[in-house]
Amino acid sequence: MPESIIILLAGLFLPLFPMSMVFNAILNNAKSAWLRSLLLIAWPLIGLFIVLNTKLIMPNWLVPLVLSTSAMYALRILTLREVNQWSGFLATSLWSLLWLPVMQDTPPVLLYGYAISMSAPLVLLVLLSAGLEQRFGAAYTGLYGGLARTIPRFAGVLVTVVVAAIATPIFPTFFIMLDIVVKTVSATPLAAMILLLIWVLWSWAGARLIQGLIVGRASDVRIADFDTTAIGLYSMVLLALVIGGIYLSGVIL
Amino acid sequence: MEQLIIVVAVLPLFSALLIQLFAGRIGRGIARLSVAATTLSFLFAVLLLWWALTGHGPLPLGNATAIILFDPLGTLLATIILGISLIVHLYSVRYMAEEAGYGRFFVLLDLMTAALLFMVIAGDLITLLIAWHLVGVLLYFLLGQDTRSPTAYRFAFWTLITYRIGDVPLILAAALLYNAYGTWSLTAIFTEIMANPDAHQIMGLPLTEVVAALIGFAAFARSAQFLLHTWLPYTMDGPTPVSALMHAGIVNAGGFLINRFAPVFIHSGDVLNGIFIVGLVTAVFGSLLMLTQNDIKKSLGYSTMGQMGFMIMECGIGAFSLAIYHLFAHGVFKGTMFLSAGSVINDARQDDGVPKDELYTFAVERRPHKVRQPWLLMAAITLAVPLVILVFAHLLIAQDYFQKQGAIVLLFFGWVTGAQLIFATYRMRTQNIWRLVGLSVLSLVVVVLGYAVISHAFDLFLYPDPAFRLQLYSTASIDLLRFDVLVVIVTLIVVSGWVVTYYAEQNGYRRRKKTKRLWLNFYALISREFYISDIYTRLARTLLAISSRLNVWLRWL
Repeated sequence: MPESIIILLAGLFLPLFPMSMVFNAILNNAKSAWLRSLLLIAWPLIGLFIVLNTKLIMPNWLVPLVLSTSAMYALRILTLREVNQWSGFLATSLWSLLWLPVMQDTPPVLLYGYAISMSAPLVLLVLLSAGLEQRFGAAYTGLYGGLARTIPRFAGVLVTVVVAAIATPIFPTFFIMLDIVVKTVSATPLAAMILLLIWVLWSWAGARLIQGLIVGRASDVRIADFDTTAIGLYSMVLLALVIGGIYLSGVIL
Repeated sequence: MEQLIIVVAVLPLFSALLIQLFAGRIGRGIARLSVAATTLSFLFAVLLLWWALTGHGPLPLGNATAIILFDPLGTLLATIILGISLIVHLYSVRYMAEEAGYGRFFVLLDLMTAALLFMVIAGDLITLLIAWHLVGVLLYFLLGQDTRSPTAYRFAFWTLITYRIGDVPLILAAALLYNAYGTWSLTAIFTEIMANPDAHQIMGLPLTEVVAALIGFAAFARSAQFLLHTWLPYTMDGPTPVSALMHAGIVNAGGFLINRFAPVFIHSGDVLNGIFIVGLVTAVFGSLLMLTQNDIKKSLGYSTMGQMGFMIMECGIGAFSLAIYHLFAHGVFKGTMFLSAGSVINDARQDDGVPKDELYTFAVERRPHKVRQPWLLMAAITLAVPLVILVFAHLLIAQDYFQKQGAIVLLFFGWVTGAQLIFATYRMRTQNIWRLVGLSVLSLVVVVLGYAVISHAFDLFLYPDPAFRLQLYSTASIDLLRFDVLVVIVTLIVVSGWVVTYYAEQNGYRRRKKTKRLWLNFYALISREFYISDIYTRLARTLLAISSRLNVWLRWL
């Protein structure tokens, strides 16, 4: 298969602009939360499978395209208000960076681990988004707000999941980003700088999402909060992510 | 014994976990649990400080990369952090009782204490980066404790984004150091730097200089230095205990970071000079903005900014340990001010504190006129007394103190500040001016002697190697001629400021039309805080507009 076709195909799954629009279109049209979750988990793994199983010689223009794709989606998340779209854009911004560890000859097992670690909080977020749609009819920031007062347990989980998604310590994405920066900084300090600025944009976007959902007065209508089982399940996944993060820190750093 | 430092840092973490798990069962007992854990942790920290004072350490603990470092700087700051945190905990037990999210508040407070502790005792760059990053995130949630208030979250966000911007240079510095030395261990990196400082280069520049500059930037963001300060005065919508913790502890992190990386700064003279200038500008602008605020908490915010400027400036002249003492002293007094702000507001509701008209006090209350002494006599006292006290205090410590350029700078600032104090005293109308001046001079003597003696003790404790101390001062030194010119210029500015104030007072603050307009423009500039936050807001809105436009163009895909 010609190299350009492989790059196009891989660029679809490890999203590179403009192929990245395909993934976001599919995610937007997926109505079921489980289908969205499956997409979020499987999509980058397919991309990695393609890249790792073909003898692809990386062209020079790939690094600027990777960085600009990630930066553009990080910038675009800032004004997104629909939680599912938000998850899709953050996924695009995160996954496009997977090209960098591929180019840095990171072992395949670790790369698959990176992809799953990046996707896991986003899967939780789309599940929470489904919970919001069920309770309020839409998962939209700035529409109702006040979740911290209305459904405090749900809000607590939501905040932790967003914090995990935007590469905050001690979740795995933090260590992945650190690893990528460490391997990039000596050869191309400018690229490392851009990576870090993308990271800052994620924090900005995360803060806007949190503020748009949890801040405000409590709803007058009584709305069902999470029960103990749901809290337990989400906590277990988040705990697994924390353990994964600590493990990753030992392996990659 | 040294291993106890791990317990000190883990105890607040453990308390946060217990509160999160059992908040429903123990109810208001969560506060008791949190206070007990902090008290225990504080007692252990005091014990460890005593251990360090008796000459033990430094000692890296943990695995090969040394996760924790037991050393004088870490143990001292851990004790200070826990002392302030304990006071804030005790204050919060009742202060936060009526607020929603009582349990969440104590969880966050404990997590913040743990993050700060891990930050100061981190023995490797990874632990330091994790703790450094988490402090910003936790502060965001602490400042947004009132989840009903969009304003609180708005300004909490300002803090978060400034801190995140400050994380960028620190991560870059850590990555560069790791690539150069192949280890995350701070002790190992510093040993190699001390042995061969010019071993590595990046983009044709010495690595130590580049890393020092990056660390400096990270410290500026955390310690609200000029242009990165806008978050500090606006974060007053957070709970008062959080303001106290922030102004007394968290904001000082910049001074700590520069001290932690002292072995890097010792080879980066130009960077230290730059740090001095940034600190100086911050101190001046912070103090200027403080004087023009009509909101007590915002005024305190700018006061902290000014103090942080002084602290960073001290680092810039090589007085690293003095910055730590400043951090401690400022933490104690600013924490007290914030925690008593509520009482002051309460008192003001009963008595406005506005001085009565002189005619009224003379005619109705039958009190004598308040008098002033001749201006020239007071001016002479103003300039001479602080200088004599400062010189005497420093001679008491070391005869060769004046060999250090940094000491001269400190003396100079001490003199200006002392003179300003007596000058302000003179401007106050009082029935017994000599009593007031006498008290001012006495307090100055106590402060200067205390400052000089204690800071000297800090110097010996934190940097026991005299050669290292001397090298820090000499690295920070600048060309003698430039130094002298700078001192003369600043002296002229300060003295002419006093003279202008004097003549303005003599003329009853009447100004000519031209100067009046100039003065009003200047006042407008200050009252708008130099338009810095307006510029940042405009910049942020532009970015958001670009983001929105991109989304429309690309059909939200």
